[in-house]
Amino acid sequence: MWATNAKIVGIVLGTLALYTLIANKIPQVQSEVPQTLTLGANVTPEQLVAAGEKVFNGIGGCPTCHGLGTRAPNLLTDEKGQGSIGARCGKREPGKSCKQYLYESLDQPGAYVVEGYQPIMPVMTKQLSPEQVWAVIAFLESQGGTVDVTASDIPATSPTSPTSPGGGGAGGGASFAGGSADPKAIIQAAGCLACHKLDGQGQVIAPDLTHVGSRRNAESIRKKILDPASSVAKGYEKLAGIMPKSFGTMMNAAQLEALVQYLAAQK
Amino acid sequence: MTDSALLLLQAAADTTHAYGEFPVIGARAFIWITAEVHLMFAAFVLGVPMFAVVTEAIGIFGGDERYDRLSKEFTRLLLVAYSATAIWGAMLVFGLSTLYPRFWAYLTAIFAPSMWLYAALFFIESFTLYLYYYGWDRWKKGRAKVGHWTLGILLNVWGTIVMFIANSWLTYMMSPPRDITPTTDPTTIKLWHAIANATWMPINVHRVIANVVFGGAIVGAYASYRFLAARTDEERAHYDWMGYVGNFIAMSALIVLPFAGYWLGREIYQYDQSMGITMMGGFMSWLWVIQAFLIAVLFLTGNYYLWIGMGRIPGAERFRPYTKYLLIVLVLGAIVWGTPHTMIADSKELAAMGGSHHPFLGALGVMSAKNTAVNLMILTTFLSFLLYRRANTRPVVPWARTGTIIQGAMFAVAAAVVLFYGIRGYFVEAIVRIGFSVYQVLAVLSCIVFVTVIDILMARGAQSLGAIRWGKMPPRSQYALFILAVTFTWLMGLMGFARSGIRQYWHVWQVMQDTSKYAATPALGYASKMISLCVLIFLSLVAFVFWLGGLAEKSTFVATGEAEKGARHVGH
Repeated sequence: MWATNAKIVGIVLGTLALYTLIANKIPQVQSEVPQTLTLGANVTPEQLVAAGEKVFNGIGGCPTCHGLGTRAPNLLTDEKGQGSIGARCGKREPGKSCKQYLYESLDQPGAYVVEGYQPIMPVMTKQLSPEQVWAVIAFLESQGGTVDVTASDIPATSPTSPTSPGGGGAGGGASFAGGSADPKAIIQAAGCLACHKLDGQGQVIAPDLTHVGSRRNAESIRKKILDPASSVAKGYEKLAGIMPKSFGTMMNAAQLEALVQYLAAQK
Repeated sequence: MTDSALLLLQAAADTTHAYGEFPVIGARAFIWITAEVHLMFAAFVLGVPMFAVVTEAIGIFGGDERYDRLSKEFTRLLLVAYSATAIWGAMLVFGLSTLYPRFWAYLTAIFAPSMWLYAALFFIESFTLYLYYYGWDRWKKGRAKVGHWTLGILLNVWGTIVMFIANSWLTYMMSPPRDITPTTDPTTIKLWHAIANATWMPINVHRVIANVVFGGAIVGAYASYRFLAARTDEERAHYDWMGYVGNFIAMSALIVLPFAGYWLGREIYQYDQSMGITMMGGFMSWLWVIQAFLIAVLFLTGNYYLWIGMGRIPGAERFRPYTKYLLIVLVLGAIVWGTPHTMIADSKELAAMGGSHHPFLGALGVMSAKNTAVNLMILTTFLSFLLYRRANTRPVVPWARTGTIIQGAMFAVAAAVVLFYGIRGYFVEAIVRIGFSVYQVLAVLSCIVFVTVIDILMARGAQSLGAIRWGKMPPRSQYALFILAVTFTWLMGLMGFARSGIRQYWHVWQVMQDTSKYAATPALGYASKMISLCVLIFLSLVAFVFWLGGLAEKSTFVATGEAEKGARHVGH
């Protein structure tokens, strides 16, 4: 019986060892807690690229769409024979350098949408700090191109859009939409029409806002803007999580109320 | 005082007394081990009573006393297993309250009433078990026996409610209702609102089925041990039969389990797409390759056991040539299911592949291919069982030939539907493709149900080609049952890590952040070591329970004549 017992123990331990071995042989990826990114004045391109890669794969959540091949263009690999993003970014829009184009893509993603894709990308300058944004740009440039982001870019304002908040900072109502309380200006600045349709303009990725006031009251609209995940319109469950959560921090109270009342009146 | 200094003070206040530390292994490892081993015992004491009450019912209504004795033998093991479950549960509570006091206070602020109900039900459940076991010989005839069986049902009802309550706590951590934010005072959250969260019912259903699988697998392992230790042919025959029953129940429930898993996955995606993507395409993506490997082991080992078992069935020789084709389908299916799809890869790896997907294997890694593979594996396993079931009989009903042709056609149609939607899935959008999996599942389930019904009708009065020679099994068949039990247990640990790990650095998803030094979610290598350790602790304790069971009472084997008389009740 001892021999049988030994065989059973051997089989149990052998099976456990096999599974443990296989699990240790595959690539090991640990999910880290997002850290605040602090870059000094003497930051090197290499440091920027390394920091950018972490943001890209971590808090930025970029591989969620970029890299799956269907939702958004490949960035780290070839896209339709044009190379990876660092190689093609300088040729996307005439007159714009790679750096300018990438910043515009993060700051105003609806401004230039690659053919064949929907304008679903959120405004990343509202979700990431300026350091994180520029680190990501450096990382993307490193994918087949030359990294020309330096520490001097970080506090600077957008190279393409003098009206956009400083380098994609945390925003604030004073500078958002030029401080205007005009709902249409707010809608324009927030890029709502990149996903929503309103009065015949905009896209149909997210619910049409033309008659939103007949479906939601002011309280419901306010809640949805401040916490987009609080409710998801029927039929749009698959897009849950795409609407940026940062609108509440971008606008001041007067702008938010102006927008809410305007939308609530769309019956 | 500056704002930043105030913030620092606030942060310090937030983390003061938030976490304790456990010597040597650390707080997280302690909670991991106690929670996992408690959960394994909990699955044991929930799965085995299901097994016991079903076998007792077969004994009562089928008139075969072997089932009744089998049921009692397992209930005896439950007595000790209950104590172990409670001890590990108490350790978990002590661990949570001393190592994660702030989080524990948060949970109790919401769920306290349900925790008292949980304790009360556990108490009632324990006494129901004592009545069930100690009343076995007293209430063994007529209405008293039915009353005794009702106690077994009650035991399952209490156990299931207890599990549902505990599930509400852990699913709340995964998917708290959307109106709950970090600033929500937990004492203001309505209890039912927190319980009925998005993933509660999918987890409940998934765990009920998984417990049946687990119970069957543990029963199989117990029987195989007793088979290998048996001193007489009669004893060997009894435990061979018991192992078969355990494996049959485990494999039958396993076939349904993936469908419950799909539902859970879908609910996770609908609740929060980013959580779903983390699970399937983010840092956990490699986990599914390991899972596919484990499932492949389960399917192959389960089928292997059936094929060896055919060696003890007169008449099974005529089906043996087909097993190699079944093996080919299973191996190909396992390879496709194990093909990675979306992985976190660095730029060099992506460049080496030439894109986000491998140029050839990428086509096999998508859901269309995987759904097709798993459905064909399920069909193949069902066919294996059907051949086993039919091995020593020859149907005599006049429509037997037509019936067999219809059965064959049903298999062909189901396989064709699975293949058709699998291929078509490559040419449609994702949203349409997801819907195709429903048609594939329906085709397979319909085939299983209708073919079984036809088979039962066709088996009426069937000519026997000889009784099953229970006990005439080579030892390797019993070792296969051990591998099944170890793999099921390891898989349970792995899926527990997946479910818990997708919360990443949140105690409660996007409501309460983990600010301890263990906040990062470890990689699969570390997790696998923890899982193996938990499985080892659990199996060692279960072996002790089995040994105690053997000390307490003699085994319940029956004489050869009785075994042969009852042979047709299982699988025939």
